[in-house]
Amino acid sequence: MSKIPSAAKHYDKKNWKDYAMSYVMILPAMIFFGLFCLYPLGNLFYLSFFRGNVRNPFKSFQGLQNYIDLFTMRPDFVPALYHTAYYTVVVLVLLIVLSVLCAVWLKKGRKIDHFAQSVIFPPHLVASISCAFVWSWMFSSESYGLFNTILNALGIKTVRWLQQTSTAMNCVIVMNVWKNIGYYSLIIMSALRSIPTEIYEAADLDSASPVKQFFKITLPLISPQLFFLLITITTGSFMVFDSIRVMTAGGPGDATQVICTWIYEYAFQNNNSLGLAAAGGIVLLVILVIITLLDFRGIEKKVHYQ
Amino acid sequence: MGEIVFNKVEKSFGTNKVIENLDLTIQDGKFTVLVGASGCGKTTLLRMIAGIGPATAGQVLLDGKDITDVAPGKRDVAMVFQNYAIYPTMTVRENIEFGLKNKKVPKQIRESRVVAVAQSVGLTEYLDRKPNTLSGGQRQRIALARAMVKQPRVFLMDEPLSNLDAKLRIQMRVELIRLHEQLKTTFVYVTHDQVEAMSMADDIVIMDKGKILQQGSPEQIYHDPNNAYIAQFIGSPAMNVLPMEGGYQYGFRPERVMLSHEKPKGTLLCRRGTVRVREMLGSETLYQIAFQDGTMVAVKMLQDTFQMNEDVILSVSKEHLFFFGQDGNRIRRDETTALYCRLLRTVGGTSDV
Repeated sequence: MSKIPSAAKHYDKKNWKDYAMSYVMILPAMIFFGLFCLYPLGNLFYLSFFRGNVRNPFKSFQGLQNYIDLFTMRPDFVPALYHTAYYTVVVLVLLIVLSVLCAVWLKKGRKIDHFAQSVIFPPHLVASISCAFVWSWMFSSESYGLFNTILNALGIKTVRWLQQTSTAMNCVIVMNVWKNIGYYSLIIMSALRSIPTEIYEAADLDSASPVKQFFKITLPLISPQLFFLLITITTGSFMVFDSIRVMTAGGPGDATQVICTWIYEYAFQNNNSLGLAAAGGIVLLVILVIITLLDFRGIEKKVHYQ
Repeated sequence: MGEIVFNKVEKSFGTNKVIENLDLTIQDGKFTVLVGASGCGKTTLLRMIAGIGPATAGQVLLDGKDITDVAPGKRDVAMVFQNYAIYPTMTVRENIEFGLKNKKVPKQIRESRVVAVAQSVGLTEYLDRKPNTLSGGQRQRIALARAMVKQPRVFLMDEPLSNLDAKLRIQMRVELIRLHEQLKTTFVYVTHDQVEAMSMADDIVIMDKGKILQQGSPEQIYHDPNNAYIAQFIGSPAMNVLPMEGGYQYGFRPERVMLSHEKPKGTLLCRRGTVRVREMLGSETLYQIAFQDGTMVAVKMLQDTFQMNEDVILSVSKEHLFFFGQDGNRIRRDETTALYCRLLRTVGGTSDV
């Protein structure tokens, strides 16, 4: 073997330096990611094989028993999954449909549109705990609850909004949709406004009805934003916690118990069940990863990127 | 058939009146070009025909039928937009057949028409591609095919070539002329480019500030412009227009000037000048000649025999002189009037050779 040409060697050296430099650049972000994301995740996974409480998390090794218990011994975990799924699906459908409708309605930029926009957006700026408190008052079955006061005045039978199984979850859903609709319609609206008006004029000349224009032109052109909404709303809804914690605390019974309130309860309120909560957290993570992967593999093919 | 008549139309955007009390007839089967500087109202007129920017007042008639309030899709017109306005999420085929589908044209007829049109604009092999994988010229052809497949009575085109590079633009110009020759339907074409207007039009409509300045064939407009604005707008380089006493102006086209070293016989205007700029373009050469009083005029010659800073004699014969009044309107050639003779004498008097 003869000598490697020095130019190539020099090039490799330079290349190596470039690589090193780029890693140094992303190092701070990687450190934070490792410290606050990967390490806790690993810890959570490790924790899920033990029984214990916050003071003594690793009291006894259980192997996979925590996971088996979740689905066999604990009658409240699978219902919590159902409730989470119900909450997610309804919030997802409502938010996407309503924010698209809102955006279509608001995009013309009339005076009333600016007014309407400034009315629906601010809830997004309020902490969700505060929103939850306000809505708890409005839904309250006491004599000072807003909705029941109105029903009373109209002579209609009052409803125990948050205290009965059939309405409690839907009340939480209404609150969260109200809170987020302004933000999501803003995203959709900016997407709508970026569509050139000539395309609609061309469609007018092609005698396409407004409905057809909406489904054949508008929807495909805002599909990247809709996909963004799909991912963020799904993951966000699966992790819903604070509004439910404040408004119903998982009740009445277990009617609004979702995964995160279930985890909270088992981790910090029940004794000797920290490992179970950790296992529940891992299950939540796996579900979210699967859903996100399915979204990217399946639905993203239908998304039209410019 | 496809005759368009504008009857006292008016268009305002808010309080801003863009077009006021305008009458215009666009003849059936002709290639009519609306030309003017940007903001002159030419696109506004085109959009009135399409129905996507209706007139504020007045009537638009298509073959005698009032279409002022008819929906765009029911007008039997097709339009090619400046930015093509292609549906980006649809394939080329879907783009072309969208209008036919909406009109419930049976599938068999639809397919054969799409194939025929795609063939004629050279898009056959791209029918199942998405527009964003195609070049600017090919997208332009999609827009054209989308209009053609509808077999409309009127083709509307809003600066369709302005996004193409120079070479492709010239090629498409020829193709549009041939297309019009083939279809023999009414074409209404909007442009700010006088070369496009001259090269393609049967009939040119020159507009400025919402008004029609002149309508006529390219020959008429070039040889017999109504005023100084049109005279300078049409033709490249622009006509030389120089001031005379009393607010009158005279003009001559750069290509009607003779440069020489000796004084030629029988020319009315003869002045000494110096070559200040020389642009050798191959087929012709453009000169900027400075008179002794400092005035610069443009000259276009087939010969490139003159060099920079060379002293030359510039001469123009009297049939190539144009005169304009104080208001810019043309004073037409008529040697029986005293005014015309006086203007001729005055220009002749500026000769210094």
